[in-house]
Amino acid sequence: MSAPVVVIGGGVNGLVCATLLARAKRRVTVVERRAEVGGAAVTRELAPGFLVPSGAHSVGPLRADVARDLRLGEHGLEFAPGNAWFTALDGRGHTVTLWHDLARAATSLGAHSPKDAAAWPAFMQARTKLGRVVASVFGHTPPSVDAPSTPELWRLFHTARAFRALGRADGYRLLRWGPMPVADLVAEHVETPVVQAALAADGVFGSLLGPWSAGSGLLFLLHAANDLAGNAAATWPRGGPGALAAALRRAAEQAGVTILTGTGVTEILTGSNGKATGVRLGDGRTLDTTVVVAGIDPKTTFALCDPMALPAEFRWRAGNYRTRGVLAKVNLALSGLPVVPGADREQLATRLRMAPDVDVMERAFDHAKYGRYSPTPWLEAVIPTLVDPTLAPAGAHVMSIYAQYAPLTLREGSWDTEREGLLRAVLDTLDRYMPGVRSLIVEAEVMSPADLEREWGMAGGHIHHGELALDQLFTMRPLFGWSQYRTPIDGLWLCSAGTHPGLGLTGGSGANAAREILRAG
Amino acid sequence: LDGTLTPMESGDYLWRVNDHSKTRREIARHSQKDADAYDDYGMAMVEMGRFAKPILAMTPPDPMSLDPRGLLELLSIGKRFRNMRYHDKVNQVQLLTMSAVDFLDQWFETDALKATMSASGIIGTFLGVRSPGTAYVLLHHYMGEIDGAFRSWGLSRGGTGSVSNAIAGAARKFGAEIRTDAPVAKILTRGGRATGVVLANGDEILADVVVSSVDPRLTFERFLEPKELPDEFLEAVRRYKYRGSSGKVNLALDALPDFTCLPGRGEHLRGAISISPSIDYMERAYDEAKHGAFSSRPYIDMVIPSLTDASLAPPGKHVMSCFVQYAPYHLQPGDVWDDARREAFGDAVIDAIAVHAPNIRNIIRHRQVLTPLDIERDFGLSEGNIFQGELSLEQLFFLRPVPGWAQYATPVEKLYLCGSATHPGGGIMGAPGQNAAVRVLKDFRK
Repeated sequence: MSAPVVVIGGGVNGLVCATLLARAKRRVTVVERRAEVGGAAVTRELAPGFLVPSGAHSVGPLRADVARDLRLGEHGLEFAPGNAWFTALDGRGHTVTLWHDLARAATSLGAHSPKDAAAWPAFMQARTKLGRVVASVFGHTPPSVDAPSTPELWRLFHTARAFRALGRADGYRLLRWGPMPVADLVAEHVETPVVQAALAADGVFGSLLGPWSAGSGLLFLLHAANDLAGNAAATWPRGGPGALAAALRRAAEQAGVTILTGTGVTEILTGSNGKATGVRLGDGRTLDTTVVVAGIDPKTTFALCDPMALPAEFRWRAGNYRTRGVLAKVNLALSGLPVVPGADREQLATRLRMAPDVDVMERAFDHAKYGRYSPTPWLEAVIPTLVDPTLAPAGAHVMSIYAQYAPLTLREGSWDTEREGLLRAVLDTLDRYMPGVRSLIVEAEVMSPADLEREWGMAGGHIHHGELALDQLFTMRPLFGWSQYRTPIDGLWLCSAGTHPGLGLTGGSGANAAREILRAG
Repeated sequence: LDGTLTPMESGDYLWRVNDHSKTRREIARHSQKDADAYDDYGMAMVEMGRFAKPILAMTPPDPMSLDPRGLLELLSIGKRFRNMRYHDKVNQVQLLTMSAVDFLDQWFETDALKATMSASGIIGTFLGVRSPGTAYVLLHHYMGEIDGAFRSWGLSRGGTGSVSNAIAGAARKFGAEIRTDAPVAKILTRGGRATGVVLANGDEILADVVVSSVDPRLTFERFLEPKELPDEFLEAVRRYKYRGSSGKVNLALDALPDFTCLPGRGEHLRGAISISPSIDYMERAYDEAKHGAFSSRPYIDMVIPSLTDASLAPPGKHVMSCFVQYAPYHLQPGDVWDDARREAFGDAVIDAIAVHAPNIRNIIRHRQVLTPLDIERDFGLSEGNIFQGELSLEQLFFLRPVPGWAQYATPVEKLYLCGSATHPGGGIMGAPGQNAAVRVLKDFRK
């Protein structure tokens, strides 16, 4: 009989991994520090009757194989349809909605630029084509750097073939897009400033990068790949992201997973032979086991280990793993629907990306470099009640807002004193796009990266469990040569978004890790 | 060159010299930890340089072609990579992708040290020290060629001719004819094949091969007609980024500048003097340029060549050459590089020097200011980019200058490129020219 497994952290990846292991007849215990499982997929009551997505406001999209293998549909998970990528708002009454329907998107673009309307379908085709090639590596464990096995070489060969099948023009486009600043990338295809800004957001979301930073093009590409790796319809869970958590919990329990909540892991125990021997819990108990899987971020994981159990070089590299969170979260309970000049109700039901142009986003980023939050942050808001009215009392609404940039460490003051200032900056900015929105606010909450770190335990408050930078991806995620979900400690595995392929709430990392753990026996 | 002096905001200084142990002691004055890391860092960089050098000397393979030779070359790079130690492998990957500051942060804590070292990562680019992709230029320092190349660039006529003259002499000795004051107006073609050039004065020079060392904009957009090039190629040429970001200030001085951190005359004036007191200072200079203005407090790299070559100035007098960043070629809408702005830029440079050497204002006899626009006009470098196009990742190796056309040949038969706009780019003296020559000779033998 195989050794029992302890999974640290009941986030999306942790639960996916645990369930897949339990299905393979492993005895699995998930240990979650918070009262509820689901990690960043939470629906919470902000004010009586107002349910907000207190972490992420959309999911993944959930990877298609994960949704299928875990039969989440049977566990009560339903999705609301999404019919657009986003609506771009410039605060001056101009709105452009990039509907999934290309012709409809072109019409919306055409109101500002016939050139953009004409160029749109080809740009989206290129994005899809390139995204597919990148997505083809998402489902696999990255190859070993030193001694790739035959199946690994075979998969690499397949990826190389898919790359070459792109042809010269798209092949070179893929090579150029990765290292480019996303601002340059989008400017090559679209000229309307507000659309450039909203597209560029894919290149900087959650990262300490501005649209003019080199490498932001890669993030744009990763998001394209991520959208393709998942089922686009699996983005907006009915009942909010908490419904995903509930379905995952039911799937896990039905598979026989034991879930302990309200107590965290304070130490990962290792024996004198350097192998994992169990975990110590916050209440002093220890769970003995030879297989420990960390669904929490890599940096926090290694901080829980005995330093002497890790090689010096590894410790140094892990210490330099970059996790500088910049995203803040604001949740609002509203007495009515805010007014956005130029946008109808159908548009308001999409993601609303707010920045008039790339320059404004870059200026928002500038502040973060010097340890200040942006006085005029970039915002993405959703109003889930437009799709799912049950989330608020009749006629009332909730709004969930991502705001960038808010650096984890402030040069002056601390987040305890500056949190209100950040909320003010966000609401002042929001008011430019939704005049009078303040008067509708019943309740508001704001979370800085320091709050995200405290609340969810992710190092640096980084929503991706570590920067999605060229040197922290694929065979280098989280660390070069340690991308196969293993660690230098025998029996300690990683399965969080800090491993390949990462990105938001897709379950991909958890599923990949489960496969490797089962293979190891 | 005798090292680099960095005046610090605290009033202290950081003086790195060419003597390793002396530099180590100097760094230890600021941080023992950094002094210890300096050895480790130096060794790591030497390893990196050893890996990178053959890549610089090769013709970039075309990853989209099935040519087995190119694939083998790529494979051989991969193999050499595999044979490196783990430590060096990681450094190599990071060097190619990280920002100079993030990379240096892993070893050092002294702000002025990191600011000065990272400065080499941004010279001639429109990037900041915190921009990803700036780390790899740190390498050039350890390949022993770049310092000279950077600092000698654009010095007043008397100063730097020596290197160019030596190369010209060698060329003549091998039988090359060199014509000066002979600007090219047009490249002649017949049936998609280059047949010579026409000079501005109307003279025609017929030739079997035309090799252009000027940038792609001049070569393809000025010297050729659009119909002579494939649309896709021309589009890529137009997309190629220049974005000049540096300026130059040359000063004739009545006396030597007197730095408050290290007063008086001394060895410290014989090397480079770097106005790069902190990372924030460098990054702020970039922020202003990014938004379309010259840096009000710019990064400056100064040398006083008259201290080493007394013939450059009358007895007791001196010349000082200042490389300045950032001065963006593209200013915010409504602004232009006119005389008033040029002088304002010059004033900003003097002000920034005066913070550390207050006597500078009183000893200037003459001042020459070059903006990127001046550099474009005087040297024929598009948008004033001293490297004939940005050294950013998407414009390097097999992507430089045009994806699929990185092997020195062009869509026009018998027309080749050999300037800094080709691999391995600017700052490494002569390498693109040498690689191009190898290519031309190879085609000739066919």
